[in-house]
Amino acid sequence: MVNLVLKFVASSRASGLSISTSEVLDCMNQLKLIDPVNETRFRTVLRANFAKSRREQGQFDRLYDFFFHGTGSEETVQQQAALKRPLDAVLDELKKEEPTDSTEEMILKFLAGDPLDLLSEIQRIQTEETEGNPVLKSNLGSISSRLHIMLAINRTRQRLVTFLGDNHSPADTEDYRQLERFITSRLETAQVLLRENPRPYHDDLKQIDSQAVGQSRLGERSFASLSQDEIAEMREVIGHLVRKLKDIVSRRLRANRHGKLDVKKTLRTASRYQGVPIRIEYQDRSPRKGRIVTLCDLSSSVWATARFMLNMLYSMQECFSQVRSFAFVSGLCEISEIFKKNEVNDAIEQVMSEPGIDLNALTDYGETFRQFKRNNMQVLNKKTTLIIVGDGRSNYMNPQEHILEEMRDKCRRLIWLNPESERFWATGDCEMLTYKAYCHEIRQCRNLNQLMDFIEGLVL
Amino acid sequence: MRRNVYCEHPRFSVCYGIPAFPVSFCESITIQAPAQGELPMEYTNVEEVLERLKQAGYIASHEIATVVFLADATQKPVLVEGPAGVGKTELAKAVAGNLGRELIRLQCYEGLDEAKALYEWEYAKQLLYTQIVKEKIQDVISRAHTLAEAVELIAEQEDAFFSERFLQSRPLLKAISSDKPVVLLIDEIDKSDPEFEAFLLELLSDFQVTIPEIGTRAARNVPFVFLTSNNYRDISDALKRRCIHLYIDYPELNLEKRIVKLKHPEIEDQLLGNVVEAMAKIRTLDLKKKPCISETIDWARSLTALGINGMTPEALKETLNVVCKYRSDSELVKKHAAMILDRP
Repeated sequence: MVNLVLKFVASSRASGLSISTSEVLDCMNQLKLIDPVNETRFRTVLRANFAKSRREQGQFDRLYDFFFHGTGSEETVQQQAALKRPLDAVLDELKKEEPTDSTEEMILKFLAGDPLDLLSEIQRIQTEETEGNPVLKSNLGSISSRLHIMLAINRTRQRLVTFLGDNHSPADTEDYRQLERFITSRLETAQVLLRENPRPYHDDLKQIDSQAVGQSRLGERSFASLSQDEIAEMREVIGHLVRKLKDIVSRRLRANRHGKLDVKKTLRTASRYQGVPIRIEYQDRSPRKGRIVTLCDLSSSVWATARFMLNMLYSMQECFSQVRSFAFVSGLCEISEIFKKNEVNDAIEQVMSEPGIDLNALTDYGETFRQFKRNNMQVLNKKTTLIIVGDGRSNYMNPQEHILEEMRDKCRRLIWLNPESERFWATGDCEMLTYKAYCHEIRQCRNLNQLMDFIEGLVL
Repeated sequence: MRRNVYCEHPRFSVCYGIPAFPVSFCESITIQAPAQGELPMEYTNVEEVLERLKQAGYIASHEIATVVFLADATQKPVLVEGPAGVGKTELAKAVAGNLGRELIRLQCYEGLDEAKALYEWEYAKQLLYTQIVKEKIQDVISRAHTLAEAVELIAEQEDAFFSERFLQSRPLLKAISSDKPVVLLIDEIDKSDPEFEAFLLELLSDFQVTIPEIGTRAARNVPFVFLTSNNYRDISDALKRRCIHLYIDYPELNLEKRIVKLKHPEIEDQLLGNVVEAMAKIRTLDLKKKPCISETIDWARSLTALGINGMTPEALKETLNVVCKYRSDSELVKKHAAMILDRP
């Protein structure tokens, strides 16, 4: 049994679960204490030791079923052994009959009981990182490779049916039926494997649709529908709110200041009472150094909100010790420096005319994430809150959500602010439902009240 | 005690198709039961855990019972995750209750540090004592001829000022220095800072803490530790590695029926079935806050209090505010009333 568990661990590690040696040892010790023939308990022990968060459990469950119950086929070992010879014979004949391409080869191997090639191909498609071609963008990469395999599966099925129909003698009808059933079910399994898109379990998502009441008139107007005068007014209100935010930050500091004993200060006060230390003084604690990294979409679909988001980002730089800001449309560009050097309105104008950002390009979230991973991944650590502002409309490009997952693993919290109403998230080219699975929190952020509600939550 | 187990479970033999994986699971394995006295075990098997938790008023699933049993047998902390209100904290209370141990609870929040979780020197007391025994100090140093000697003499008395007398123990220190074994509940660990989590590592793996002025304190009795998390942020791998993980989901229909029956025995079976089934369907809706077990119990209580015996659309509408805590959630439930009550 040790070998079996070790093999399972090896497969789990290969599929991305991180399992340490001490966890394997613990698992072994615990298996001694229970009855391993009771599958519920066996599974519980493995799960309690190898998948230590709800997100990992999704992967674990898939893998466990795959490992211990195979690819879902119902045959017992004896049946499989009986079918092995005729199956091999049929497959050999089929190979001789007509030259096959590599994809069909893969499927025939899968039928013969060696699914590794097919599985790794599917794995490749699911976690592909497409190199962005800046001139000609295509969004068909993963769809077309899937289609290719799917067509090959259909072709193989067709050929097998014809072949079996031509070659079976009435004497072995029962065998023939069994074989046919088997092949059909295996091919069906292959189809399912190809179609499904693994997503982690995700029931800890915090989804907030705040109905905060603050600024009643201006606060509820959507950013997109503001007139020229109102924009000016909005600026003023934001300025006011930012001042209030700073107050909140300093108040938090005061309330939370019980640090170590401050000997110097205590002795100084004590001298007032003839050296009796009546009042104890404590050292102030330094404020929490929240680090924030923001990615802000500036494309035309969020044009109206982008300015306010930038305004907010600008004010956040003042409240937190370390803020890195990035803007993107089809590629990423760091704008922290611009914010540091310029006054707010100038800074926003400068960002909007920044040569690194092509405002007319098609938004591509996948490419943005890829660039972020390549150049800026080191800015994320366990103290960083990553805020992504955007509508998730990626023009049907490859969403590359697995990069977002890597980013999630690196940072403390991943929050997505969407300037669109939730009703539209499942429509058109919006990838929000895909990305949702990897965020800690998603929020609608269409007007001032919602924005302020978010910022206050972030600061407090 | 040695026994041989031959694993011929039919489910395990269906391993067809992946040659890299072994088809046979029929190796003989030797099971060595832990020597008695080496680890003091409170429970002898999983069934006993189930039974005793039930006596303590907590109906556990097999998974929960297995994990509690293993945690007890191997003296490892349990990291409990799950949606709000499924009974994570309740589990710790139930275990403490049926083992007859004291429950020490540490609620985590942002900014929690050693001073509030482990120990703090009582500066005020120390300073006051120094003032009061001022003359005694004079006595001590009166023997000294030089300043260096005086310092030396005071240093000999150092222990008087950094002793347990001036140490204010906080939950964690209390848990490991207690004479009787306790149950330690570290609630909502995800709300604390990563620094605090790192600080917990020593405690959770070796059950000891280091106080610089006094030295390392090892636990007199290893506490039964529960950590709960709502997944506000991901817990570090180092901490996870030291724990047994348990995910508690919303209970299955039958389990929930038994729980409600236990907490509210007067309820009639007809209504009980209706309530629990309706609740399961409500949880499948895309709600902002899914109703938890305590809400099911509250709902059952309100329905009985109103004298309603069967679930009708009117009854659902009237009592909905017990179940849904957001207006948009109530709207959604009302819209799907027919589906929830199984009436076309």
